[in-house]
Amino acid sequence: MIGMLNPFRRTRQPADDTSIVMDSARKSTGGRTRNRVVMTMAVFFGIYAIIGGRLVYLGFQDPMPSGAPASRVTAARPDIVDRNGEVLATDIKTSSLFAEPRHIVDADEAIEKLSTVLPEIDYEQTYNKLKSGAGFVWLQRQLTPRQQSEIMQLGIPGVGFRTETRRFYPAGPTTAYIVGLTNIDNQGISGLEKYIDGQGLADLQQSGLALPKDLAPVRLSIDLRVQHIVHDEITAAMDRYKAIAAGAVVLNAKTGEVVAMASVPDFDPNNPIHAQDKDRLNRMSAGLYEMGSTVKSFTTAMALDSGKATLNSTFDATRPITIGRQTIRDFHGKGRVLTLPEVFIYSSNIGSAREADIVGIEGHREFLHRLGILERMQTELPEVARPVEPKVWKKVHSITASFGHGFTTTPLQTAVGAAALMNGGYLMNPTFLMRSAEEAMANAKRVINEKTSADMRYLYRLNAEKGSGKRAEVPGYRVGGKTGTAEKVVNGRYVSGKRFNAFLAAFPMDDPQYIVLSVIDEPQSEKPGMGATAGLNAAPIVANIIRRSAAMLGVEPDFGHENTATLASY
Amino acid sequence: MFRTSDIVLIGVMVAAAAMTYTIKRDAGEQLATVRKIQAQIRTEEETIDLLKADWSLLTQPGRLQRLVERYQDQLGLEPATPHQFARVDSLPQRPLTIEDITAADAAGKLIDPTQTGAVE
Repeated sequence: MIGMLNPFRRTRQPADDTSIVMDSARKSTGGRTRNRVVMTMAVFFGIYAIIGGRLVYLGFQDPMPSGAPASRVTAARPDIVDRNGEVLATDIKTSSLFAEPRHIVDADEAIEKLSTVLPEIDYEQTYNKLKSGAGFVWLQRQLTPRQQSEIMQLGIPGVGFRTETRRFYPAGPTTAYIVGLTNIDNQGISGLEKYIDGQGLADLQQSGLALPKDLAPVRLSIDLRVQHIVHDEITAAMDRYKAIAAGAVVLNAKTGEVVAMASVPDFDPNNPIHAQDKDRLNRMSAGLYEMGSTVKSFTTAMALDSGKATLNSTFDATRPITIGRQTIRDFHGKGRVLTLPEVFIYSSNIGSAREADIVGIEGHREFLHRLGILERMQTELPEVARPVEPKVWKKVHSITASFGHGFTTTPLQTAVGAAALMNGGYLMNPTFLMRSAEEAMANAKRVINEKTSADMRYLYRLNAEKGSGKRAEVPGYRVGGKTGTAEKVVNGRYVSGKRFNAFLAAFPMDDPQYIVLSVIDEPQSEKPGMGATAGLNAAPIVANIIRRSAAMLGVEPDFGHENTATLASY
Repeated sequence: MFRTSDIVLIGVMVAAAAMTYTIKRDAGEQLATVRKIQAQIRTEEETIDLLKADWSLLTQPGRLQRLVERYQDQLGLEPATPHQFARVDSLPQRPLTIEDITAADAAGKLIDPTQTGAVE
């Protein structure tokens, strides 16, 4: 093609004959070309050597610190929900605003713009931060999504966001003691948060496998509505009776599930500044008390279960019992021989001591251990106190223990023991997780026989109708229970003005579904001149809780046999 | 010289190159969309979590109780008393009226006199 277009080609071809001339000419031009190539190569080598050298130099230099610090792995935790799926604890993502002062062009302008979104920002402090020359400063932690998008719109150079995970408790103080708390690294430090960590979550987090999506919510046996009622009632009661503390628990008698449990004073888990205060203690499971007369339920059950006493047995309560330096008197002394039901409804200390007497010291101690009153309770909650009993049981210990003095236990396990008395004699560990009646029965232990349980149900109902538990009556719900007014020990002596009151109740009495126990520490009389015994303050708490929560607990009111229990017995 | 086959091959090559380019570009675009949607999903999920927390905060029994107490005049809500609970079968039978009986008669279905309350 080229040959055809080039008319000189043909004419040049004969010139090939003069090859020497051409050769030398080619050589001379070839030499010049080589020089040029070498020069070009040298220039390029030079350029690349400079670039390479610069790269090596930069590679060895420490980069200027800038940007946010490496993201802290805030381990995800599963949600905690109540038995109806209401959220009790959840992880929420919040954004925090940071600035890189080196990249801030105009600090004044930046602050001015920020203050349109964050009016509470401190001008001087922020200015100093932005002028500090540091690589990274936090400006504001935990913004709302709205604030975040507004700040983004401002388009300030040198500021950015970092997402952080934070544990949030929508129910706040209502479930504080049950759900517990996490620390800054999102590890459980108390309550069920701590229990969840112990179940393998901590290992998962360590190996980095705890992904938010894979963590199924932990479902508790707590019913938030009932929990609120309990919390509301004890808060009101503590205020009304000017007490130093109050608490209550609602326990399912058939499954051992704790449906609600609260103790005041408490703290807000979203802002736990008071969590470490001295009086902040879950009194229901971690507080040890001499439970007082509520323990007479166990003494009576023990006497009946031993087969040495029946509902028709009589006990001589004419004279106080003197043992050593102590004299046992009755609070409402009748000064006569009492039948077993009378001992129970008049809450006779002397009668109870005689009931314990027929079983014997060892038998008494063994029975309280069998009912778990003196054992350390096995449950999910980590805050559980170990009951304290005398090292060696003597006659005096058995007598005082018969009416609930001389040993301390937690209110929750008193309620658990009462559940065994009411549900036909099966002791089951309390649980804060969902459990069916079958699962509960599989691990339950028979502690008293069926007949004793039936007798105890009768006595509880009788006490609510004729005895000290009248104020716990709720129409339609057949409440039965036992009061307990214990004097507190101050400097080794029992003081009459300081009381620890409790009311241990069950409902509905024809087939008890729930145990409700309320305690109130050092209550004052509501009005001057009124007493401050358990029947006047602890019993109304229980009545209010049952009145407000029975429908939610699924207990059907029944007005049909309002008085059958008494009619059948007399 | 170019042969027809060369031209065809060049054409095929150019077409293949063009196709590869389009596919690569499409894939890039799709990837960008996927990434965008993933980011969107993440934001949505976080928003859902936040809204759930917000919802449970707003439906706290304690808060509802406060609201009911404050707006008692307008709402007039009262706690249900035990007397308000009953089963359907515990309701008394509705007494029959004359109209019911005459209507049943007209339809040819005689009502058993013991059921009307007229005969004990």
